[in-house]
Amino acid sequence: MVLVLAIGDLHIPHRAPDLPPKFKSMLVPGKIQHIICTGNLCIKEVHDYLKSLCPSLHITRGEYDEDARYPEIKTLTIGQFKLGLCHGHQVVPWGDLDSLAMLQRQLDVDILVSGHTHQFKAYKHEGGVVINPGSATGAYSSITYDVNPSFVLMDIDGLRVVVYVYELIDGEVKVDKIDFKKTATPATHSTH
Amino acid sequence: MYETFHGANISIQYLVTVEILRGYLHKSLSATMECIIESEKANLPDQPLSPEMVIFYITQDTQRHSLLPELKSGGFRVSGKICTQCSLSDPINGELTVEASAVPLRSIDIHLLRVESILVGERVITETSLIQTTQIADGDVCHNMTLPIYILLPRLLTCPTIYAGPFSIEFKVSIVITFQSELSKSHPKSDPKTPRLWLAMESVPLELVRTK
Amino acid sequence: MEFRPRNYAAEEEIYLLPRVPAGAHPLSAPSPSLYQVEVVNHEKNDFYDPLRCSDAIVMVSNDNLQEEDNGSAVNKPTVELPTKEWSSFKKFLMQRFSGSKMVSISTMSDVIMKTGKVHEKSSMTMHLEELDDPQKFAEDGIKVISQQEYVSRLHELKDEITRAWQADDRVTSLKLSVKVAKLLMDTSVLEFYPTLFVLATDVMDMVGDMVWERIKQKAEFSEGGNVISSLPAENFKAEDISVDAKETCSNWFFKIGSIRELLPRIYLELAILPCWRFLHDRPMDIVQRLVMMTRGIADPLAFAYCHLYMAHCAQKLPQHDIGYLVICINDLKILLTRFLSAKEATDEKISEKSRLLISLMEPTIDYITRCLIKYSYQTRAGNVLVELGMGMNQSELCGKVPCISIILHYLLKELPTELVSSNAVEILQLIECSKDYSFDQCLNYRLLGFRLSEKRSEPVIINAVVDKVIKVISEYNSLDEYLKVVDAYVDIILQNQMGNNLNIILDGIKKRACNEGIAETELTFLQSIFLKLLAQFNNLEDIFSLSHFVEILDMMHGSSRSAVNMHILNIATRKGCIRDPTIIQLLFEVSQSLHDGIDYSNMRNDDNQQATRLISRFANMVDHGSEVERHLAFLVECRGAFGGINELKETLVHSSNFLAVKAMKDGQNHISFVKSCIAFGEVTIPSVPSWVNQLNLYLETAEVALLGGLVSHSDGLLDSAIICLQTLNLLDGSRVSNDVDRTLSLIRKLCSLLVLVPGNPGQGVTYIPRSVLALLDSHSWMSSRMRTNVLSAIVNLAATVSQFKLPYHANHEKTQIRGNDHLFFGDPTYLQELLSLSAFVLQNLVNNIMQEPSQVVRGTMALEACNCIASSFNPSHEVLPILSKLMETAKLCLSSNDNYLQSTTKFVDKFLHAKALEGVQRC
Repeated sequence: MVLVLAIGDLHIPHRAPDLPPKFKSMLVPGKIQHIICTGNLCIKEVHDYLKSLCPSLHITRGEYDEDARYPEIKTLTIGQFKLGLCHGHQVVPWGDLDSLAMLQRQLDVDILVSGHTHQFKAYKHEGGVVINPGSATGAYSSITYDVNPSFVLMDIDGLRVVVYVYELIDGEVKVDKIDFKKTATPATHSTH
Repeated sequence: MYETFHGANISIQYLVTVEILRGYLHKSLSATMECIIESEKANLPDQPLSPEMVIFYITQDTQRHSLLPELKSGGFRVSGKICTQCSLSDPINGELTVEASAVPLRSIDIHLLRVESILVGERVITETSLIQTTQIADGDVCHNMTLPIYILLPRLLTCPTIYAGPFSIEFKVSIVITFQSELSKSHPKSDPKTPRLWLAMESVPLELVRTK
Repeated sequence: MEFRPRNYAAEEEIYLLPRVPAGAHPLSAPSPSLYQVEVVNHEKNDFYDPLRCSDAIVMVSNDNLQEEDNGSAVNKPTVELPTKEWSSFKKFLMQRFSGSKMVSISTMSDVIMKTGKVHEKSSMTMHLEELDDPQKFAEDGIKVISQQEYVSRLHELKDEITRAWQADDRVTSLKLSVKVAKLLMDTSVLEFYPTLFVLATDVMDMVGDMVWERIKQKAEFSEGGNVISSLPAENFKAEDISVDAKETCSNWFFKIGSIRELLPRIYLELAILPCWRFLHDRPMDIVQRLVMMTRGIADPLAFAYCHLYMAHCAQKLPQHDIGYLVICINDLKILLTRFLSAKEATDEKISEKSRLLISLMEPTIDYITRCLIKYSYQTRAGNVLVELGMGMNQSELCGKVPCISIILHYLLKELPTELVSSNAVEILQLIECSKDYSFDQCLNYRLLGFRLSEKRSEPVIINAVVDKVIKVISEYNSLDEYLKVVDAYVDIILQNQMGNNLNIILDGIKKRACNEGIAETELTFLQSIFLKLLAQFNNLEDIFSLSHFVEILDMMHGSSRSAVNMHILNIATRKGCIRDPTIIQLLFEVSQSLHDGIDYSNMRNDDNQQATRLISRFANMVDHGSEVERHLAFLVECRGAFGGINELKETLVHSSNFLAVKAMKDGQNHISFVKSCIAFGEVTIPSVPSWVNQLNLYLETAEVALLGGLVSHSDGLLDSAIICLQTLNLLDGSRVSNDVDRTLSLIRKLCSLLVLVPGNPGQGVTYIPRSVLALLDSHSWMSSRMRTNVLSAIVNLAATVSQFKLPYHANHEKTQIRGNDHLFFGDPTYLQELLSLSAFVLQNLVNNIMQEPSQVVRGTMALEACNCIASSFNPSHEVLPILSKLMETAKLCLSSNDNYLQSTTKFVDKFLHAKALEGVQRC
């Protein structure tokens, strides 16, 4: 069982001073094995904070990130899953499933995590699963200022993933879960 | 038998001469070797000897020679004690304290002197030679602080004190205090035994014995 | 050619993964009972869960470490100051006193004047005689050589000694060593003495080691080289040593004993001190004698350094005893007392020399007291304090015996923390009555403060001490001394909540600072004091309300002021928003002062970067709440005040955009305010130096304008963005590749943003995409890969805006922008425009791909284009040839195992299958 925190679009300090306290108190060091962050942190302090939660931290660059060393795109393997990470402002149009599927084919990943729209989404299509953890601070997005803070925790266990969605709605943390399995290994993988 | 000794005026030597006579035709062969003689350990008294210490005071009034006027008037006082009997294998022990001095000190040295005397006819001729100098204070040391006297005896230059009929070998320790003085600079190399205006001294006899 | 129709809402329905409320989840807080169990477990320590609080584990391991430390102290009665410490101490000595460059050596041996090679036996003995005569140093013309020459001569001597030793000429080795030791008798060039000491004792140590090895060898091996006995490194007895080896050993001591001069005799005996172990079972007795003999050295410097060497050498003995160290310290006290009282009355010049002398002696006192306290408390041997005449017993000091202040200082530095805190009042009395110029009394008060801070003491003691200290320093006129002492007590005062005392000292500082101003060195202490205050308070309201805090801060200047300013800002920005208008104003002033202190010629400097960061951070954290107008005014003020900080300009734009969005969210009458915000952005962005950053900010501001329904503003901003892109020349500069990637992603972002932007019929609805297209040709820095990327984005964009309903709108209840779907859907010219753009782009795309020389890149680009085409268009006769051509290219260029190729093939097949289906339907 591996816990992977997917988080992004914090826009600290430009659009929010900090993470919501309710989120902060839930996120304690030692529980999470990996963090994947879609970007737009935006400052180093946030990076350091995430690093303090878990040293295995993977970040891609949002357009407002100070740190130029974050890559535009990143892939990593956790357990049986190959994950792809991308901020998403470079997807045309933003958040479009077809465009994301295109990216997923290109990266050849089981789960693609991207952000930018500040809306939690989790899709499954022929090519795999696409997850958008939303904005952890509820920052306004390119499209809307009506944003609920949210992040995602994935519990990866063998071929099964439980995605926990943490959303702050009217001051309360609401947690939903989504369960999916990696079905028969796609043909493309058998050639490895 | 006396122990082997090589002094300035007296030597005690034991020579072994081997001579081989080879008849008339050949010169006889001979060789001479010196044997070093020391007293046999078994016969020696046990250490330690009873520590015989003599107490001394050195002041402007104990000096028989003339002193620097400021020294004479201001005065000084150095006291201490030193052993008068000493085993050849042990250091000379003692201590010394500068109690007061009107003139700053330059140095305090302990001279080890050897006194060789020979009977010539009716007269006893004595000569004293300096065999080692050991500084125990360098500069104007603090007053009322006890300084140790610790002097190792030079092995080749000493022997047990001897009083034989025709000759004697004795030792003396002389405590010499040198005061700071401009005058001293004009006598860069004077015999330390010579009394000078800037010197104060005190001598004590020292009996050296061989022990186990 | 036709675009593939999309129904975004319906697709989402189909593919969205179903979600259900989660009862338990990995981040749920542990129930109270569980928590209690955890606590119990911690205490038992029988197991630990690595996922639980890591603090507990750290604590445990710390405990273990401490226990180990204590254990070793008990088990090993002799704790040696490691050799390393000695060598670093020597290095420190050399560095600290490297002042004088020339050494007059009239008084010293010709050993130094000779160059090694010219040396002859006869002249050597002659010089030896000359040396024997202390009177020699009278009139002789003074010879001067450089320190460097002197040092190199000493190194040569060291080599000569080694060479002679190796040639079995030990007599020469010894004679030369004696000469080296004699050099230490001359203290006439004061500043050079420590260096001389280090070099000479190096030689002594070397000789000592050689003699030790030789005698050890004699004791272990017979003449023929057979092993007689092997000596253990520690704990052998004199009786284990052969007569022969003992004889050789005594011979060495006899030879050294015959050296006339006291100082070299002591040094050489110390050098071979460990050899006494071959003769004696209690070599510490010898050290005792040597320390007494050293009393005969009247020169304070020679005296102190000789003791230093003694402390060093005595540590080579297996047993240790502090008796000789106590004598050391007590003798030093007597010597210093005499020295200080003798010179005190005399004129300035001499006293300056005495000060120098004291500072030269200081390290020796430091080292010796360190040894003394370390050994006496670690081995719990003897009553040091009693023997030093300072204590009733080992743990109680008596306060009223004056001590030499410099010795007191180093004792206080080393005494165990517990002892200091339980005897604080007595120590205070000691300090009070130990006032001489060997050490600044205020520095001893200061040290006491620091020592007391190490451990929490009884409040009664602390109160007494602090009251007394405050009384003492109230007499000080000098700000410098005042600050030095206060600096050490601030933490204690804060920790014990002595608010009144805090006011007294701040008042004291203010008065003295007003009288004489604040000098450079004083600033350092003031900075230290202020940083302690800040660290302790952690709350700006409390700090600013401290009496005189702001006043004193205003009197500060330079880097210290900046350091304090930075700390204040750091605290201010650490805790979320800053709302209090008074605090904001004060912080604004702090920022201004910090800004004025920034050295703009050196922006790479870390401190400067930190400063600009903090100011930006502050500007960002200010929150005027619902008073958005006031907030915007603040931003304008910041822009004016901190013009030197580029980073801040970006921050300000972000802030004004955020303000605009906030106003929109809060509703009512916001349009004109939003316009002001946008205008602020428009004015500010051009002053941002980086084009890429400008572009980024234009896009953000355009987004916000759209959110606010300000189409014409967004059009203007997008125009500016395009101009930025046109001006961009990424061939310059060092961060090219980063900026290139970033620019590419921003162009793609722009494409997505255009989905929101109502087409402007005046300019043509595809005006902006066409401008982007034009860029591709004008910018040579774009790789073909990037061109493909941008071209695909434009195709995607065209397909998206052709839809009946767009995937997203910039629509909110209050601001209605009619999107392109509302404006143009069904308009044939609009569609035509998009299709002709697409056709043009497709052609470009194909050409671009075909021209790519690298096979792999060409293949990958072809796949990207295929994906784009298959998801954007319906399979028509215009599109199919292009698609199949690209697929062919991809298959030719890439391995058939390539996953991207396989997944794209699958995707394209599906697309073609849809075409077939469509064909069937049409039949």
